[in-house]
Amino acid sequence: MIEVRGLTKRFRGRTAVEDLTFSVRPGTVTGFLGPNGSGKTTTARMILGLTQPDAGTATVGGRCYRDLPHPLREIGALINPGAVNPSRSALDHLRWLAAANKIPAARAETALAQVGLDAVADRRVGAFSLGMRQRLGIAAALIGDPAVLLLDEPINGLDPEGIRWIRIFMQSLAAEGRTVLVSSHLMSEMALTASELVVIGRGRLVAAESVASFTARVDSSVRVRTPQLDALAAALTTAGATVWREEGALDVVGIAIEQIGAVAAQIGAVLYELSPQQASLEEAFMHLTSAECEYVVERAAALVRENELVDEVAA
Amino acid sequence: MSSVAMEWTKLLPLHKTSRTVASAVALAVTVSGLLSLAMAANAGQMSQDARARFDSIGIALQGVNAAVLVVGVFGVLCVTREYATGMITTTFLAQPSRLRVLAAKLGTHAAVAGVAAALTCAASYAIGQAVLGTGGLSVGWGAHRVGPALAGGAIYLVLSCAWGVGIGALTRSSSSGITWLASLLVVAPVIVQILPASVLHVVGPWLPSQIGMSATAGHGIPNSFGPWTGLAVLAGYVLLTLAAGAWRMVRTDP
Repeated sequence: MIEVRGLTKRFRGRTAVEDLTFSVRPGTVTGFLGPNGSGKTTTARMILGLTQPDAGTATVGGRCYRDLPHPLREIGALINPGAVNPSRSALDHLRWLAAANKIPAARAETALAQVGLDAVADRRVGAFSLGMRQRLGIAAALIGDPAVLLLDEPINGLDPEGIRWIRIFMQSLAAEGRTVLVSSHLMSEMALTASELVVIGRGRLVAAESVASFTARVDSSVRVRTPQLDALAAALTTAGATVWREEGALDVVGIAIEQIGAVAAQIGAVLYELSPQQASLEEAFMHLTSAECEYVVERAAALVRENELVDEVAA
Repeated sequence: MSSVAMEWTKLLPLHKTSRTVASAVALAVTVSGLLSLAMAANAGQMSQDARARFDSIGIALQGVNAAVLVVGVFGVLCVTREYATGMITTTFLAQPSRLRVLAAKLGTHAAVAGVAAALTCAASYAIGQAVLGTGGLSVGWGAHRVGPALAGGAIYLVLSCAWGVGIGALTRSSSSGITWLASLLVVAPVIVQILPASVLHVVGPWLPSQIGMSATAGHGIPNSFGPWTGLAVLAGYVLLTLAAGAWRMVRTDP
């Protein structure tokens, strides 16, 4: 269980994270979504006690990270897979982590086997590929057999086979009853992996809900195929729908699917297809965050107007 | 205690650690040997008076002043290397208490420096005395002040390593940390030479290099603190730097 309450962080006056509140429940994979620079890593670092928040709290199992006597046994984190001593072996890297939290040294081998690195346990970490370093970072997160996992962009640098592996792996960890929070800017990947979502944009919470209810926020369109395209399009527009033509089909938004069927029957149109189209996670995300982008553009325009006004007054 | 175990496991299998000890000893032995060789070669021309004033112990232990850079850099790098690779974040994930991390690094690295210091002092004194003996300038192991000079040299080395740890925590950068250390130990004594004699008289004793000379000398040397006073002054510098480094480690996020 991760709980974030009113978390705020500013860097030199620029707000990175503002009044962020959400909680991550055990037993499911929770995706932490946001575009690059939206504050995902800052939030993760505050949960892990690496960055001191300006306001608010982040707790793991009810306690702040810095108050955990053996943090690696409570929460495993992948935050920077490059953060290793390149001249050490993979096994050595895990051994000092184990020693730091009084974890049996044998856990190092187990964790390496869990991520499929047991064959290269004695090889220098400096010679590892990015994908292997990601796996080593995940092994480091697992070393204390923690109930909570926080993985920041774990699929960066992984090949398709590795991405598939980590997806199944995270789901199996959640199925064991663990809390799994995975940050990513790759929506399509999160749609496959996560069942819950925490979405942030420009440091603020956009949504914290299930993937299904998040995508349902966007109007789903209905796809209609008929030989009488023009007639049906006109009739639907009269009925109050918004209609797009697309290669011999219509995409209809704004009225219920039943109503579309009724309109088609009224004008005697033959239907080949009448199907609801679910919005993708990506579409839902773009839709919800575009409001913020528009706000930025509007504000910039307002600033320009203000300046012009000042210039006029000066003149 | 687990944070000490953490730092030990990081340190022990490293070839770098044993290489640090070996290079400190090798450097010290080379410097002591060469200097003693030069002295022994000139022994024939020395007057009776000069022979009486000759500091056989201090010359044989000159290697300590070379080894001090090796152990100091060892101390600097134990902190800055982790900031350079970002491994410090992993360290803080395993041990969130910054002060415990710093204390564990200090303890383990000072212990390694202690081993290096004991070997350095014993080896350079043995070689130095053996070479000086060819010119009839040796005083052997039983002479007055041999014990205190050996101990003083070892303490000087361990304090320099601890100073390196403090400088590393303060600068967080290998290049600037090493530059600071080298400036304090090597460059400062050269620079103060341009000061007028009256000022040099006041500043001189406070230089770390002068403190090292005084600690390893066989008899009192001019313009410096006594061996133990000097080491106490150096310990003061080390404590101040460590306190500042600890403050920065706690206050500023990695």
